[in-house]
Amino acid sequence: MKSVMKRLIGMIPVFIGVMLLIFVLLRVVPGDPVQVLLGEHYSQDTIDRLTKAMNLDKPVFEQFLLYLSGVFHGDLGMSYVMKKPVTSLIMEALPQTVILALMASTFAWFVGIGSGIIAAIKQNKAPDHIFMGFSLAGISVPVFMSALFLQYVFSFKLKLLPLSSDGSLKSLILPAIALGWNSAGSVARLTRSNLVDALQADYIDTAKAKGLTNRAVIFGHALRNSMLPVITLMAIQLSSMMSGAVVTESIFAIPGVGRLATNAIQTRDMPLLQGTVLLTTVMVIFGSLLADILYSVIDPRIRREA
Amino acid sequence: MEKTKKSTDHHNPGSSGAAAAAAADRKSADLSCEIKSYVGIRKKIRRMCRENPLAAVSAAVIVVMILMAVFAPLIAPYQEAEQDLMARLQGPSAAHIFGTDELGRDVFTRILYGARVSLMVGIIPSAITLVIGIFFGLLAGFHGGWVDYVIMRFVDVMLSFPTLLLCMVMMYVLGRYADSVLCIILSLSLINWAGTARVVRAQTLSLKETEYVEAARSIGVKRIRIMLRHILPNCIPSLIVLYTLSVPSSILSESTLSFLGIGVQPPAASWGLMVNQSKQFLFTMPWLALAPSLSIMLVVLAFNFLGDGLRDALDPYLESR
Amino acid sequence: MKKRTGLMILTACLTALMSVSAFASDGDEKVLRLGWGKDIQTMDVHKTTDNYAVPLNIFDRLLEVQLNEDGSTEIVNSIAKEYSVSDDGLTYSFTLRDDVKFCDGTPLTSADVEATFTRMFTLPESVQTDFTTCIKGAQDILDGKTDKLEGIHVIDDYNFEIVLEEPFAGFLSVLATPTCCIMSKANLETAGDDFGVVPEKTIGSGPYMVTEWKTNDSLTLVRNPEYWGEPASAATVVYKVYPEPASMNMAFQNGDIDILDCDFIDAAIVQSVYETAYADQIVMANRLGTYMIILNADVEPLSDVRVRKALQMAINRQGILDQIYGGNGVLVDGIYPAGSIGFSEENQGWLAYDPEGAKALLAEAGYENGFDLEIAVNTSASANMNNMLQIFEQNLKEIGVNASMVNYDEAEYLKIRKNGTLPCFAAVWTLDYNDPSNIIDTFFGSVESTHGRSLNYADTSIMERVIKARAITDETERMAEYAAVEKKIVEEDAAWIPLYSLQHRFVISDKIEHFTPHWAGYGDFSCNNVTMK
Repeated sequence: MKSVMKRLIGMIPVFIGVMLLIFVLLRVVPGDPVQVLLGEHYSQDTIDRLTKAMNLDKPVFEQFLLYLSGVFHGDLGMSYVMKKPVTSLIMEALPQTVILALMASTFAWFVGIGSGIIAAIKQNKAPDHIFMGFSLAGISVPVFMSALFLQYVFSFKLKLLPLSSDGSLKSLILPAIALGWNSAGSVARLTRSNLVDALQADYIDTAKAKGLTNRAVIFGHALRNSMLPVITLMAIQLSSMMSGAVVTESIFAIPGVGRLATNAIQTRDMPLLQGTVLLTTVMVIFGSLLADILYSVIDPRIRREA
Repeated sequence: MEKTKKSTDHHNPGSSGAAAAAAADRKSADLSCEIKSYVGIRKKIRRMCRENPLAAVSAAVIVVMILMAVFAPLIAPYQEAEQDLMARLQGPSAAHIFGTDELGRDVFTRILYGARVSLMVGIIPSAITLVIGIFFGLLAGFHGGWVDYVIMRFVDVMLSFPTLLLCMVMMYVLGRYADSVLCIILSLSLINWAGTARVVRAQTLSLKETEYVEAARSIGVKRIRIMLRHILPNCIPSLIVLYTLSVPSSILSESTLSFLGIGVQPPAASWGLMVNQSKQFLFTMPWLALAPSLSIMLVVLAFNFLGDGLRDALDPYLESR
Repeated sequence: MKKRTGLMILTACLTALMSVSAFASDGDEKVLRLGWGKDIQTMDVHKTTDNYAVPLNIFDRLLEVQLNEDGSTEIVNSIAKEYSVSDDGLTYSFTLRDDVKFCDGTPLTSADVEATFTRMFTLPESVQTDFTTCIKGAQDILDGKTDKLEGIHVIDDYNFEIVLEEPFAGFLSVLATPTCCIMSKANLETAGDDFGVVPEKTIGSGPYMVTEWKTNDSLTLVRNPEYWGEPASAATVVYKVYPEPASMNMAFQNGDIDILDCDFIDAAIVQSVYETAYADQIVMANRLGTYMIILNADVEPLSDVRVRKALQMAINRQGILDQIYGGNGVLVDGIYPAGSIGFSEENQGWLAYDPEGAKALLAEAGYENGFDLEIAVNTSASANMNNMLQIFEQNLKEIGVNASMVNYDEAEYLKIRKNGTLPCFAAVWTLDYNDPSNIIDTFFGSVESTHGRSLNYADTSIMERVIKARAITDETERMAEYAAVEKKIVEEDAAWIPLYSLQHRFVISDKIEHFTPHWAGYGDFSCNNVTMK
């Protein structure tokens, strides 16, 4: 517990750093949120009035401090464009993103670990090539291609699943596969190569000599020892999926965090973008914490070292 | 323990930086007892080509692609942006082997020219990333103390940032000073170095403690010399692998940016942009999207296989993924 | 542990798969489903200049524009049951219908009209002040001198007058624009900043009311039970956001969308798929809008009128219209959209595609070796617009001009345009109200407007004529003056390259009996004009 607290406190400078970076970048980006709001009709009067109303006439550093003090009071500000509190916009988008991320990760882990194991056992035989080929295709095809393809085949032609999100779990299956397939490739690769290494280790020979079945050797010994880096990878993947998957969300019309963030960039909606980046940072920090905890569950030695 | 980023949709095989760093951290104890020499690299690569035909074929594919890109003006049957409005959206034929796009441009020609952009965007940023990563990694690892703290917190900041968002913002910031391809190269370079820095730092930390470096230090060899002559060469095998794996991730990043409409500027061609322009015709006129998508797939796969092969051959310590 | 969670999720997915969603719509509960490319930003019409879909449906205007069978338009009464204009053209007297109620049951009265118009000018974030500053006292509010609108006189609950600063023939048309949606005074006061954001706090008297708005996802309208007119055919209207055009296209063919706006879809798809397989389901709307390529006169060498004229001759407009837009439109050679009031037949037909002539003109201007030219592109522009600019670029290369396209994302594009330094770019203007003043005032009404639109048109005497034309009371004389000004600006001074007016195509599903698009061919329309089977 203590080390967790220490880690969290250690992340505060990183946190402020992320905020500062996005703040500075957004001031350097050409383009003006007021102009985006006004679109076609405007006069200089209107621009001046709006700039003042949005606090954009204050010095940048003052704006940053105002924002930081807001964050520590739990207030992320109002979205310039959507005119709603950033917190409520994020809370509205988060459930979809979380469910999608969980489903995609589940798919990635089952497929990835499964094909990794099969490939490792049948090393250099046909199943190895088939399963690894499938997984690697996931890494090599840009996500928009696989997403459009799945949408076309399963929704448009076969009419098995909804074409776009309607809030139901069913409508998230295809996006989860499109997103998860991508991660499955890396999981499979890592599982396979670690397992191959582990199967060559001395203690495996010992275990085999003791008369354990092949299956017991693989699942009891080799897999356990080769899973540590895989878990790291999976935690990282999960936390990054939580921060939104812009392309998948666009193609399947899912109102998630990724789209909120890209819209915010395009409309220079600073409070909204800062809010989503903040969320992402928190997710990443928790992702690595989670991996740490899982590590110590699986391998008690690490607990002692820490 | 490491944090890493991965917020673009596509899996970032190259930002394996973090996973690799974890591996490097853990294996550091073993590493310290053996100092590898980089002179054997050529030999090892030759052996890899013999023993791992897939990696060899991949290398050949990459070389062919690069040659095609370099000699595009000689090979291409048409000009890059040559329009023929009377011959729009034609299927494959003798005159246009991959058909024509919406403005009657030859798709094969654009694939060739697109290869220039896509490969450049893969190869150059990964190299720049490497240089920046090595610089900060060495500095942090060797100097230690507050320098290490500041650099590593900065690395943490970079890694916890959603990559795609950062990339978009960078594209907008840089957009006014450079053309779109250069912008992508710069954005990817300025964003992706953090993973490399981590790996280099981890290796530096462990190498620093070796008797070999201690000895060099005790006889008064200058720090910079120790870093460049004794530590860096030992990082090279892992860096080669990291490099090969980060190229495909950059290529995919470019295609995602172009898909979102903020990547390469038409009428220039890149594979990602070609997919973007043809996505609506994906199923009515599939040849339009097929050629660029397959090109992306082929190159990305080739780099991945080559990277895997190189890792097996060069660097038993950099854990595979 | 991990495995068990995984199993649970898998089971959940399967359950969801098997349970067929009950989305049955029985006879009376007809649901109209529409697609949007991106979400709206607000439902408050004073805070937006392009999200008109919701305001058109949930509010009423004093007057409406009616689209006749022959394509002409006329102003008809809406919640104003009668009106008269004084002889000097300054005072407009209105009588409201006495049966109009907001969806919360309160009656709509003159006080609401006054509150609406006052808010238009007093609200700090108001962006709807351009067309209505002609109301007496409006400028004083904008200047911060007062917060009372002098030009509105409430006589009793159902009678009021609007007084203008000077005569303006297009004012009745202005009253029919979404800008002048009438809001509820009580609602505006109680809702405060939530107006236009929270559905239940956004109250109007139109045929529909908003029940739900999920950001970036969907917006739901249901029939307003208090509506004074005929109840709308569809009981519920659901707008769903499809950010990816390829998906929207599939969604329509899949039966998930009832009216597809072809502006979102690549024109080549419209031609190859919809014009064949869905030919009898296409609804055409005359878009009262023109496309043009603006030539910034402050940018060398566009400052030379011969160069601008050469560019006008260089572009193959008919080729673009035929190839990119499948010929669904007409070339225009002036400022006013084809079919709009003020469109002058006499000013058409002078501009022909003539690359040789263009080269000769360039040589005469001293640019026989061409010059470099930046074509600015807005990254959020449609694929069609982008293709058009790529052909334009090629056309320019053919006359020796070294043109290159440069991307700007929308926020930056607008800012540069406002600064008056965007060099050469495509623009489109769709009429807000059917009067030539709408478009010509916007682009050529003042030094500020030509600068803010990166035209930098130099002739201030023309600007004076443009503004004076508003007040000409004789209609024939006014139109003649507008035509003369148009000829001077486009034909003689070549301020921009006029392109075309396009048809706006929609495809309707087999659930739609009848659909009348917006009179100006907007993508947004009142769902009252949709009859479902």
